[in-house]
Amino acid sequence: MEHNKNMRTVSAPILSSPSWRLRPSAQRPMPVLTAGQVHEVHGQGDDRAAGLAFALGLGAANRDGPVLVVRAGLRQPLALYGEGLAALGIDPARLVLAQARDAAALLRAGLEGARCPGLALVLLESEGPLKGYDLTASRRFVLAAERTQTPVVLLRHAARPQASAAHTRWQVSSAPSQPLEAPPGAQVRPPGLPALAVEALRWRGGPAGQTWHLQWDEQHGGFRDATGTSDSGSAAPSGAVVSLAALRTGAATGGSSPAAA
Amino acid sequence: MARSGQALRLAAVERDAARHGLAPGMTLADARARCPDLVTLPHDPAGDAALLNTLAGAMHALTPSVTPDPPDGLLLDISGCAHLFGSEARMASQAAEIAGLSTLHALAGNPAAARALVRHGTPAQRRAEDVAALPVVALDLGEQATTALRRAGLKRLGDLVTRPASALAARFGESVVLRLRQMTGDVAAPLAPRVAEAPIAAEAHFAEPIARTDDVLDVAEDLLRQVAMQMEQRRLGGRRFALTLHRSDGARRVLAVETGQPTRDPPLVVRLLRERIESLADPIDPGFGFDAITLAVTRAEPLGARQSRLDRAEDAQDTVQALIDRLGVRLGQDAVLRLAPADRHIPERAQAWMPAMERNGSVSFPSSALPRPLLLFDPPQGIEVIAGVPDGPPLRLRWRGTVHEVVHAEGPERIAPEWWRQREGHRGTGAPRTTRDYYRIEDSRGRRLWVFRRGLYGGETVPAWYVHGLFA
Repeated sequence: MEHNKNMRTVSAPILSSPSWRLRPSAQRPMPVLTAGQVHEVHGQGDDRAAGLAFALGLGAANRDGPVLVVRAGLRQPLALYGEGLAALGIDPARLVLAQARDAAALLRAGLEGARCPGLALVLLESEGPLKGYDLTASRRFVLAAERTQTPVVLLRHAARPQASAAHTRWQVSSAPSQPLEAPPGAQVRPPGLPALAVEALRWRGGPAGQTWHLQWDEQHGGFRDATGTSDSGSAAPSGAVVSLAALRTGAATGGSSPAAA
Repeated sequence: MARSGQALRLAAVERDAARHGLAPGMTLADARARCPDLVTLPHDPAGDAALLNTLAGAMHALTPSVTPDPPDGLLLDISGCAHLFGSEARMASQAAEIAGLSTLHALAGNPAAARALVRHGTPAQRRAEDVAALPVVALDLGEQATTALRRAGLKRLGDLVTRPASALAARFGESVVLRLRQMTGDVAAPLAPRVAEAPIAAEAHFAEPIARTDDVLDVAEDLLRQVAMQMEQRRLGGRRFALTLHRSDGARRVLAVETGQPTRDPPLVVRLLRERIESLADPIDPGFGFDAITLAVTRAEPLGARQSRLDRAEDAQDTVQALIDRLGVRLGQDAVLRLAPADRHIPERAQAWMPAMERNGSVSFPSSALPRPLLLFDPPQGIEVIAGVPDGPPLRLRWRGTVHEVVHAEGPERIAPEWWRQREGHRGTGAPRTTRDYYRIEDSRGRRLWVFRRGLYGGETVPAWYVHGLFA
């Protein structure tokens, strides 16, 4: 009965999404990047890893197939790093990176990718205003994504949101993480797992305007909603995280060190 | 040098070695005993075969009919060709010059005789009339038959020719007579000459020049169907297609596209050609139109007939590969990349970007227990840091004019320079200066950075700090 009551409170489009999850404690949906739709992710210019992690972690981690990343107009020479991708549950061998010269080539290549069946995610990454991206262009992406059932994500750094046919629009930035236990003798605690502050600027058929604090769940390999628990002090999240330092000492001393216990 | 059974034997020797008394078939131990400073290389039959094939191709300059005679011979049918070079002797010297190796040759009225002369004749007797003087080994009958002939007192081919064929056949077998008659020219010994592979190409000529791009592509598709049929017969697939547009004023324009996998699919190549035309820096100028279009497959690879699978699992793979081809044509092959792991310790060298068109099977990345960033600065960016000496984490850092207060930090993780790649090894002077201590830090706004200190305090230079990566 409890289950049914919950079901009635959420609206239909969310229900139809495969990766929909309902937290029993809080009756609010997790952000999802639904397959077959177009999503815009906005981030600040100097915070590029957050938006990327949001797009990859929610869009590609639980799907099979290659991930196409098309990049253009990025001011900084930031390379995607394979081991970091693997930590987000994406095999680096799945990545196909296309470097476009300008915004037109970016949109063109992205559209080509959205029309190709068999991809797990099409991610277009750009910085600043994206010339040529308007209602018509975004509508093309929507049609292509609907046909191939591929999620299409436009990751826009340091850009102003503009009118488009996208299904959702998110503002993503890094959030303070839940620090790990300090190793003995250390002055400061190590930073925790990836954490994101997410705001739904637009969500067709969903609760727009809401904010989330997402935290990486090491145990289940995905982001989970940790809104409200971020300031709860030292209470470790479920699936307690082993401190990196402890892990290292454990490896070095064969687990005999008290830090590894 | 080749391994035969348990012994290492010489497979071939140089002229110098032959002068020292070495010969093919000799065991390596014997050869070393005669010649202690002998230099040997492993035997490479595949390389020899390839060289022979190349030589056969080169010999087409002399005669259209060239037959490789493995492992180390070439049979040239020079009927009607010798006069072009002056004489047979001059032609032979020219052939030796083309080959560029130390060669032996013999001329005879039929290939079997020429072959026997050059392989079994002494230097004095390599003329056609010397066939009768050749030893019976020249018949290539194998150990048993040769011994039988010798025991019967038949040492030379001349001894056999004079005997009645029926008696020889009854006693030594049909093949003795057949070989003998092939050598004397009574029975034909046909050759299967090496035929140069016909290029895969098709062309179209027009009564009226055409100018529209769509028309050009229609013609291209038609030509592609023709070459697809040619390739299907030869079980090949094209990797590189070159479309040449012949303008009516004589100007030519070549459009080339490449695919990641061999293909015979005309629509796919037409799509690539369309991409190519649309991405041209200077568009095609038809002028007064094109009056001919030719298409050539300049690179082809084996491709068997394929059956589409019921579950279409392969098809998804194919469409992604086709997408990579299209993007490669549009953006340039160097702009469509895949990650490949590299066995290095320095983080920015631990991965390499390879053109996605070159499929290299499945690669597995090493999984690291230590945290690694999602994005990496290459090169690392310099920052100003206030940190505890000698190996404390940063307390405050200034990056691009912004001050970041460090709230959480972890480290150091020391990544030492790869001393095994330095010329002086671990004794080199560069080591203490290029040692990196990595810290994972989080600032007050929740940004997680990967920073490192290059060098150690107490050295001759002051350590420098860099930010190297961004964590999610």
